[in-house]
Amino acid sequence: MNHLLPLLVAAPLLGAALLVAGGRRLPRAVAEPVGCVVSAGTAALAIVLLLNSSPPLVEWVGGWAPKDGESVGIVLVGDGPGLGMAALASLLTLAALVYSWRYFDEPPRRHAGSFPALMLLFQTGMCGFAVAGDLFDAFVFFELMSVVAYALTGHRVEEAKAVQGALTFGVVNSLGAYAMLLGIALLYARTGELAMVKIGRGLDAHGGPDALTLAAFVLVLTGLLVKAAAVPFHFWLPDAHAVAPTPVCMLLSGVLVEMGAYGVWRVYGTVFDGPGGIPAADVERALVVLGVLTGLVGAVMCWYQRHIKRLLAYSTVAHMGLFVIGIGSLTPEADDGTALYILGHAGVKAALFACTGILLDRYGSVDEHALYGRARSLRGVAVLFVLGALGLAGLPPFGTGLGKAVTEEAVGGPLSVVFVVVSAVTAGAVLRVAAHVFLGAGPEPRDVSAYETTGIREEPETRHRLSRVPDTMTVVPALLLAGSLAVGAVPGVARLVGHAVSEAGSGGAFTSPHWTPAGVLLGLLSTVLALGLAALAVSRPEPFGEQPWTEPLRRLQSGHIGDYVAWTLAGATLLGALALPGILS
Amino acid sequence: MTRRVRRWVLAVGGAGLAALLVAACPALPPFGGATHPYGDRVVHESLARQTANTIASVNFDQRAFDTLGELGILFASVIGTVVLLRQTRDERRAAPEPAAVSLPVRRYALIVLPVALLTGLYVVAHGQLSPGGGFQGGVVAATALHLLYLGADYRALENVRPIGLYEVGDALAASGYLVTGFAGLLGGTAFLANTLLPYGTFNTLASGGTVPLLNAAIGMEVACAVVVLLARFLDQAVEIEKESGS
Repeated sequence: MNHLLPLLVAAPLLGAALLVAGGRRLPRAVAEPVGCVVSAGTAALAIVLLLNSSPPLVEWVGGWAPKDGESVGIVLVGDGPGLGMAALASLLTLAALVYSWRYFDEPPRRHAGSFPALMLLFQTGMCGFAVAGDLFDAFVFFELMSVVAYALTGHRVEEAKAVQGALTFGVVNSLGAYAMLLGIALLYARTGELAMVKIGRGLDAHGGPDALTLAAFVLVLTGLLVKAAAVPFHFWLPDAHAVAPTPVCMLLSGVLVEMGAYGVWRVYGTVFDGPGGIPAADVERALVVLGVLTGLVGAVMCWYQRHIKRLLAYSTVAHMGLFVIGIGSLTPEADDGTALYILGHAGVKAALFACTGILLDRYGSVDEHALYGRARSLRGVAVLFVLGALGLAGLPPFGTGLGKAVTEEAVGGPLSVVFVVVSAVTAGAVLRVAAHVFLGAGPEPRDVSAYETTGIREEPETRHRLSRVPDTMTVVPALLLAGSLAVGAVPGVARLVGHAVSEAGSGGAFTSPHWTPAGVLLGLLSTVLALGLAALAVSRPEPFGEQPWTEPLRRLQSGHIGDYVAWTLAGATLLGALALPGILS
Repeated sequence: MTRRVRRWVLAVGGAGLAALLVAACPALPPFGGATHPYGDRVVHESLARQTANTIASVNFDQRAFDTLGELGILFASVIGTVVLLRQTRDERRAAPEPAAVSLPVRRYALIVLPVALLTGLYVVAHGQLSPGGGFQGGVVAATALHLLYLGADYRALENVRPIGLYEVGDALAASGYLVTGFAGLLGGTAFLANTLLPYGTFNTLASGGTVPLLNAAIGMEVACAVVVLLARFLDQAVEIEKESGS
């Protein structure tokens, strides 16, 4: 079974190559189904491997199994979390491909296969990163998924802002990648190894942590946290989401940024968690502080958006904050909760983007104010959108609710307040949009601020404005929501996830995440708060609208690449400062 | 942010990061030491498989999976460039005017072209024996063709460079690398395993098992990719124009 692990990379890559080779002759009606079939096949392979991943699969590519404990080859690790992320990425790629069936207005002339080929390459990169057990190999596939993501983000080159968004995305993420590569070089210099487990052992053999360990930790984590959109590395994300085609947003928010968080979990747990790594207390301090900052900034910014895609993008930033807190608290229960939360969130967030895409292609706008009351006739979409918003709040029995409840219980105390507030505020903002757009509730919103990104005058992504919503565009979000629901509601899923995460994690203790009365109550509390906030915002726009104190925060999202680069450097320094006490003692 | 604030944030961030790196440097192993645990292992394995160029053994045998990822990155960049630099609705194609080229430039380019092309192919073919290989040789071969643009004109270049064929070549080379990998899985032991072909005689062209095959696939992929990439950028610079009035 372990010999099949490299096929998670090889199969979609071969599919992409064949689509490009044949793409000049293939009509679009053939190229897109071929893309779906290859993507679905890879997803099936990932799921089969996932079901066989206990005990974890280990594969030395090219048969370079270690001799006397030493190997020169690359190791792939197919444990529960890795294969779970690969399966999630594959299923979301499939969902996005089905959603975008006959979607784009203008495929490049005689390159009908290019969009499905890029999506397959995206899948290749994410699967390769998920199963990498070698730090440099992880970097290579990390770069592959980034490169594809830049191209997909800028797909609608007719619009200057699409190019701008993709360029920002490219520059900031490349900077993160350089940092990561530099960190890998430092680790290699110290240990002479590239396999993550061996690097960890090499650091331990060298003795306690010193400045080099700290520098490597900061640099590698900077690369991963840029991808995970943690504050202050997050600026690229809203700019990229606002311009990326909707199916691409589904992948970016649903799984790409979560790959960053997964990478942090994987790298800390295998490289830096020994006595020669960074002490647990310092990692916890660094990640929890950044996570809380990310959650709060994301939630505030989310509330004050009217461009629906930007609003959803900030809600992703906010939730990434929660995931980083979960990972940073370094307990097996919090890891389980975060894994469930990521699974549930992927379905909910992708479904919300899918619904927003319908609005864009039907009305040529993603602006909350311009769409006021215009989508009254789209009842089915309205139901999906509201369900997505409730899932975002963590309403039981959504997977988001279970994940949130388990993580809240694990982190405890004031941090669980952050979870409740962040999920309530982001879901409240989405519910406010739903009330304005689908119901026309409350007074019509007025434009008050000049410093705001509106979502009007957007080009639909389909050939013409849709008069009728195609079935694929509604079935996909419905299935995604059903998946998110299943994560929380189907008994056994949580137990499986818990088992897989504990088996792979360094904890060793087996945990079994489940619903508790307190968790259900906290989920209901977030949902009620979200509904209340939305109702107040709709009925009394004044006290809940524009606030002067948010102005400086909003001005930081300036669209100026230089600003974002400066913040990325400052973020790396902040990370270093937060983890510094560990090497001084 | 104002310039002032931006500079401050940049200065603080840069200074912090610089301090971190400076502090880390003394902890690095000293330059020019005699112990290279990884290097020793790599050379040993490379010689065991009759591959004279250890770098090629690392790239196409020991860590061939990384090279597969790098191939994917280049391949994705090509598709990405084709998609992003496409001719959009508000653009049209204008036939480029031939320009006069001074005689010495023309002569030089036309003499050097075959030499450069041959050098590129040589570097690819001897990748498993001497420094170089598919990545380097592919770039040399692809740039050689572009001497026609300097020596003659754009249309002469277009005549020797049917972009469609190069795109197909790019994809087929990538498929070739993958198929070699699959063959390792089906007929041998593992994906990309170098156990199918005999390792041959040390320091001959056919030595190293599948290393020359993978090296050739990368050479073809890189050459085709560079041609397509340059063609797309030249297209934007030379041929595609914004429609007037839009």
